[in-house]
Amino acid sequence: MDARRKERVVFGLLSLSMLAVVVPVLLVLYFLAVRGLPGVTWEFLTALPRENMRAGGIMPAIMGTLLLVTGTVVFALPLGVLSAVYLTEYSRPGALNRLIRLAIVNLAGVPSVVYGLFGLGLFVLFLRFGASLLAGSLTLALLILPVVITASEEALRSVPVSFRQASLGLGATRWQTTWRVVLPNALPGIMTGVILGVARAAGETAPILFTAAAFFLPRLPHSVFDPVMALPYHLYIISTQVPDAPPRIQWGTAVVLLMLVLGMNLIASLIRTRHRRARHW
Amino acid sequence: MEKLMAEPRRAFQQPVSLPPAPDGRVKIAARGVDVFYDRFQALKGITLEIREKAITALIGPSGCGKSTFLRALNRMNDLVPGARLEGVIQIDGDDIYAPGLDVVALRKRVGMVFQAPNPFPMSVFDNIAYGPRVHGVRDKHQLAEIVESSLQRAALWDEVKDKLREPALALSGGQQQRLCIARVLAVEPEVVLMDEPCSALDPISTLRIEELMRVLRENYTIVIVTHNMQQAARVSDETGFFLMGELIEFGPSSGLFTTPRDRRTEDYITGRFG
Repeated sequence: MDARRKERVVFGLLSLSMLAVVVPVLLVLYFLAVRGLPGVTWEFLTALPRENMRAGGIMPAIMGTLLLVTGTVVFALPLGVLSAVYLTEYSRPGALNRLIRLAIVNLAGVPSVVYGLFGLGLFVLFLRFGASLLAGSLTLALLILPVVITASEEALRSVPVSFRQASLGLGATRWQTTWRVVLPNALPGIMTGVILGVARAAGETAPILFTAAAFFLPRLPHSVFDPVMALPYHLYIISTQVPDAPPRIQWGTAVVLLMLVLGMNLIASLIRTRHRRARHW
Repeated sequence: MEKLMAEPRRAFQQPVSLPPAPDGRVKIAARGVDVFYDRFQALKGITLEIREKAITALIGPSGCGKSTFLRALNRMNDLVPGARLEGVIQIDGDDIYAPGLDVVALRKRVGMVFQAPNPFPMSVFDNIAYGPRVHGVRDKHQLAEIVESSLQRAALWDEVKDKLREPALALSGGQQQRLCIARVLAVEPEVVLMDEPCSALDPISTLRIEELMRVLRENYTIVIVTHNMQQAARVSDETGFFLMGELIEFGPSSGLFTTPRDRRTEDYITGRFG
């Protein structure tokens, strides 16, 4: 086979594989939009569920997921960023450093249901938080910690070494250098990573199954020790545990969850592109 | 310029405007300094004295250890994993590698200008104010005064006085390098180290930096690493020639460039290698 024909065949194969990726995504979006969007009304977004979740809205589930996600950021952001700062700015290459990295990689590979069980054991039972917003947020924070650390590390590393040298050369301490020069310039990259992690946390069911999610709780939580409804878990319930739940509600919930996650991904990529355009180095 | 290059021996004569090398007191003294990067020995038994309020140039081919020596003077080599120093370096008689020495305080005394201009991605003002702020200056008027006087000393004030709030990275390369010099001056150092400060600049900007160095010499001890031998001859009082980690020759620039004592120095400055 001559080189030019080979080139065409390869190009054809590559195009096919691209289609195989893009087409299912478009199909998912299409079916969700057609079946789900009509159900997404103002009342659906803002009302409490009625008649055993067979009517009414999903407001508590939306709020529950937003609260869980907020709690996740509160715990995962400082912990993840400080870990990344330790790894990139303070630790010296060596056995300990490699061990920590190995731990992070493995943490990323742990199935989410295992996080759920861990959260149940540690936060819900041992620390007696009960199935609650707090326990669920902490569990989700652990889940996305590897993503946050890895993204933050990458963002910190992309800040030129020359900035650090200039700062240290002026007699700044390591922490002053990190706080005043490195972190501000790494912030957009860190935010991108955090939002992507949070988008994943918003869609997870298994980690909140035993730690936070309420089957049916037609009100908002009064404290961080209250359980909450959450979109992915609610979707699971009305699809499998509630006979004759109208498909309108099921598809509508799926659309809302997907829009939430896609919206966050969109924000993340907006931050990234804006930052790329703005930076001079 | 081309004509000068063709006659290297005469080209390196000192400009008449520069006074002869001062007999000032010794600011920095290095005795038997070895530097290792893991097992590689980058410097071998360097012993030399750098005079106060003079310009000392370090020359030599790439990898000869001149930058390593420069970075040893404010302990920037500490940042390189596996770097290790033996021997003694004293500034004003204090051993700067003494255990428990405050490296941060040392770097305040010994400022550094890097090869490529590296302003922070902040405004001109914030770049200059960075050092003073880090060292605890909070007062706005005081900061503004420091910024103005530092920019003036770096001969940049007239060009940027209306652009203090604009990003430093919008300045030209030569202005950025003078900004970096001003940033160093703002922390009131005693010694200014310059690591090939003109290698990324055009000839006009280079000339301006050299003029600036001559002015700064009145108040600061300057050590400059340069690849450019004409530059060393033009601006420096004393010059050290490094080769493969050793200091081959050290002395007044007027003598080193016109009548080198060592054959290897002569070969290098006449362009036979390097």
